Amino acid sequence: MPIAARPHSVRAMLLILLLPAGIGLMALAWIIHGALLERMSTDFVESRLKDEVAFLEHQIRQSGGRTDTLQTGDYFQEVFHHAFAIASPSGQSISPKTWTPLLRPLLSSEQEGAVRVRDAEVPAAPSEMLGYRRAFTVDGNSFVVIVAEDMEALQQSQAELHTWTAVVSVLLVILMIGSIWVGISLALRPVVGLQASLKRLQSGDISRINANGPEEFRPLVRQLNQLLDSLDDRLERSRDALANLSHSVKTPIAAVRQILEDTSRPLDKNLRREMASRLDDIDAQLESEMRRSRFAGPQVGQSACPVKQARDLLWMLGRLYPDKSFELSTDLPEHHRWPVEEHDLNEILGNLLDNAGKWSSRWVELTLGEDQGRLKIIISDDGAGVSETARSQLGKRGLRLDEQTPGHGLGLAIVHAIVERYQGQVHYTSSKAGGLSAVVEIHGSDRFGSRSSN
Amino acid sequence: MRLLLVEDDPLLANGLSAQLEKAGFSVDTARTAREARQLGQQESYQAGILDLGLPDGNGLDVLRQWRTHKVSFPVLILTARGDWQDKVNGLKAGADDYLAKPFQTEELIARLHAIVRRSEGRIMDTLTAGRFELDENRQTLRAGDQTEHSLTGTEFRLLRCLMSRPGQVFSKEQLLDQLYSLDDTPSENVIEAYVRRLRKLVGPDTIKTRRGQGYLFDADSR
Repeated sequence: MPIAARPHSVRAMLLILLLPAGIGLMALAWIIHGALLERMSTDFVESRLKDEVAFLEHQIRQSGGRTDTLQTGDYFQEVFHHAFAIASPSGQSISPKTWTPLLRPLLSSEQEGAVRVRDAEVPAAPSEMLGYRRAFTVDGNSFVVIVAEDMEALQQSQAELHTWTAVVSVLLVILMIGSIWVGISLALRPVVGLQASLKRLQSGDISRINANGPEEFRPLVRQLNQLLDSLDDRLERSRDALANLSHSVKTPIAAVRQILEDTSRPLDKNLRREMASRLDDIDAQLESEMRRSRFAGPQVGQSACPVKQARDLLWMLGRLYPDKSFELSTDLPEHHRWPVEEHDLNEILGNLLDNAGKWSSRWVELTLGEDQGRLKIIISDDGAGVSETARSQLGKRGLRLDEQTPGHGLGLAIVHAIVERYQGQVHYTSSKAGGLSAVVEIHGSDRFGSRSSN
Repeated sequence: MRLLLVEDDPLLANGLSAQLEKAGFSVDTARTAREARQLGQQESYQAGILDLGLPDGNGLDVLRQWRTHKVSFPVLILTARGDWQDKVNGLKAGADDYLAKPFQTEELIARLHAIVRRSEGRIMDTLTAGRFELDENRQTLRAGDQTEHSLTGTEFRLLRCLMSRPGQVFSKEQLLDQLYSLDDTPSENVIEAYVRRLRKLVGPDTIKTRRGQGYLFDADSR
């Protein structure tokens, strides 16, 4: 059965897997039962026939080979319910007479031991028979004795037994299907409960899913609840952010409206500048809020392609600053991945490279590396550099991110904020050409295990 | 100087075109992507300002269409999203610079002058060797399978040098001349590192090593 074409329902899948297996095993058991039954009855009959042949042989030997002294007629048949054939030098005697066509050829054949005759078409004689043939000599005379049993009757009762077994097997299979169905339904009942909880969650009746399910479902429920927690968290944060934003944006809007509505007041240069600065405030607020919402921070499953992203950014900056050279130096393979959110890495690289591009005279180099699980980004330029005392102020300016204006170190502050989120560090040294070298280090691996949700 | 302004907000478009005309440009305004496509391909402009969010399409698609139709005037794109990836996508589509909204008109005009100056004397030129096509203007390499690779400055100069005469052996000293470096005496290992990187883009057999002599570009290798 192709497992690849996965059935959509667990119930159907279990039935498809278990039902053929159950039926197959049952059929196998039935066939084995038939074979064993057959073998057992044959063995049993054969051993009895053998005993009787031995008894007859004993009689003949005792009488010294004179078969006529044996009580012939139907005596043996009446005692043992079997047919006999005895061939002696003085003649053949077969009892009962109707079996003669079956037994005579056997007397003259050379076969010793058990003889099976099937599908014989002799009137008044069975079509199936099992005989035991033995040849021996008494006082120089050779004798052949055959004792035979009618197998047809035995086979009939055997077949009847076998049929009954089949009927019982079918009943058992039906019972098995029923119990599998009931078992699956019972085992899946918690899913229905979970579904109902989710529905109630959606309609707002409950805020978290009840964790009292079976053992196997608890991790799932716990994870769902964690997801709900983080969603709630995010919702709350974004609501707060929106409320703050609207608060800080509405004031400048009110101010500008006020000026525009006052028709008596001429729009002089001073007023225009005031209005422009209010609009700039709105823009700055929006921008910083946008950036804040874009920082994804460490998240499971988020990964960046450092070499590809770096190449694109270097190429772009090379286009924007055509007289400067932006170079990449890395041993990482082309499709290497870092556990950093793509957008975050773009912000780190883009801002640092743009800065370096602004201040360099001809040359900017980006080095990407990995050292014992630490991700390392170095961006060097050949500009005038920054004095050692001023370096510690880079990216800080003693201001919060949202209070800074573009073009005044905002880029570096963004880089610092993102790197902090990844619990990494940014530090600055001077490059070999005397310019500035920015070094970013982030822990690459084993960082997500302890902070699965954030 | 003729300039095409593609901007759908009438207030911004009118204000901008007035200020641009004051700065000496003669401005045509397009409000839709369709109009922009037509004007860009029919008229000849010295520069273009392209807003990315247009009512009937994306500005980047307009730009790509211009560039495939050999419309070569420099284009500055205006975007409300200051994402680095957006900027990269804009330049990859054929823009020359970008400016995030809101902007100051003085900065816009300064950037326009800069891209016009940069584009002067520029010719749409490609260097072809075998199945490789080097776009000299955009510093990109297109391989036979139509994938476009962006190159850094030195990668571009080295590849241009090698591709300019396929089959000819260039010594490491010759290739070192293509390099800007902070080091006064850049080592030959640097060339090896760049060649390694270029081989990743063009295939390992396309740039062949001649031991003791240098490197050559084999345009026919697969």
